[in-house]
Amino acid sequence: MAGQSDPHLSIFSAPELEFLAEDEMVEVVPNIRMEALHVICGDFGPFFPQIAKVPLWLALALKKRDKCTIRTPEWMSVERLTQVLEAERESPREFQPLPFHYVEISRLLFDHARDDIPDIYMVRSLIEDIRYVRFHKVETGLETISGRTHAVKLKNLSAMEVNIVRPFMVRALQAFYKHDSPQMIQQPQTMGSRRPQVVDRGSRRDLRPR
Amino acid sequence: MPGYYDIDDIIMEEEPISVVFQVGAHGVGLLDPGSETNNVENGAKVDLPFWLAHELYLRQAVSISVPACFSQKTRKEIQADAACVDLRIRCPYFYELGCKIVPLVSDKSIGSFLHYAFTGRYKEILSKSHSASVVTVPKFSTRLTKEESQLFEAARSSMLAFKKWRLGGSRLEKASILGRKRKTTIPACPSTP
Repeated sequence: MAGQSDPHLSIFSAPELEFLAEDEMVEVVPNIRMEALHVICGDFGPFFPQIAKVPLWLALALKKRDKCTIRTPEWMSVERLTQVLEAERESPREFQPLPFHYVEISRLLFDHARDDIPDIYMVRSLIEDIRYVRFHKVETGLETISGRTHAVKLKNLSAMEVNIVRPFMVRALQAFYKHDSPQMIQQPQTMGSRRPQVVDRGSRRDLRPR
Repeated sequence: MPGYYDIDDIIMEEEPISVVFQVGAHGVGLLDPGSETNNVENGAKVDLPFWLAHELYLRQAVSISVPACFSQKTRKEIQADAACVDLRIRCPYFYELGCKIVPLVSDKSIGSFLHYAFTGRYKEILSKSHSASVVTVPKFSTRLTKEESQLFEAARSSMLAFKKWRLGGSRLEKASILGRKRKTTIPACPSTP
């Protein structure tokens, strides 16, 4: 069952995440006519040689049989990606909004639809750079957590990136919680009086500014 | 919290702790290798596993002294450079043992010392585990305690799985059992006349 490939860590494996990413919609241009497809998750209308929106799994299946060409999603153009990369480099604590499954979608499209993407090498290297910069931000953010951190907020992080850091972060937070609990760090007791144990909420460590 | 069923907890409780007996004990000379009779004297210094020391402490039969791995020497080393200290040789269950010892021993600074050590080593673990190169790993990971190496392994395995996925390849793996060729034992049939 998905998410249970390693019961101790309870993460998704990478192929499982890729499978989940295939539910995203993309635009295709079929080059044949076909009548409507009725599948469990819905009906996909009769296909004419004009733009149709289908889920990615269907687009890949059609592409493998040479029945369509896939239009690259608009976030995957060179200009848009360079903009995103510049913005990522400029803001050291924020993540730019990107589609949730951008890593998986881009990999699937590179593998199966090479000829449909203009400037494929440029796009590929841009996505790699973006991924590298974002992961580096996650790491620097993780250095600052301590026992006071009750929760870590990562806005705009994509599915695959979350999946990579999830086991580490969960374990690290547990370990810090165990070490920093008030009974472990015992305050020096003054004679007679006992300080009331106030649970200090601590500062919220966001990995992005509010 | 790990409790009765956790294997790491059980193994951790086997760690020897040196205790000083407050009462004389008869018939358990086995515990003290230096005693001539079958008794343990009052005031004798003995090494007991943690689970036994804990129980006897609750019955006020012993007093527990600080284990060697929390001594001043270790503290100085950790203050010098937390990440390079080989904690596995001293005590592979450094942190868990420390957590358990804190309520039992008179030294109250162990808790904050553990916290300091962990924070220092955590940064190293963070950077090394995510770089996913095979070279730096063997030297560093032999210095980690059990708890830290679980953390390290978790990050490294998820990173390696991602890298492997990224290289591509088909999603369907052929089952290994199909790789072996079966011997087809068709006997050579005699030609029919």
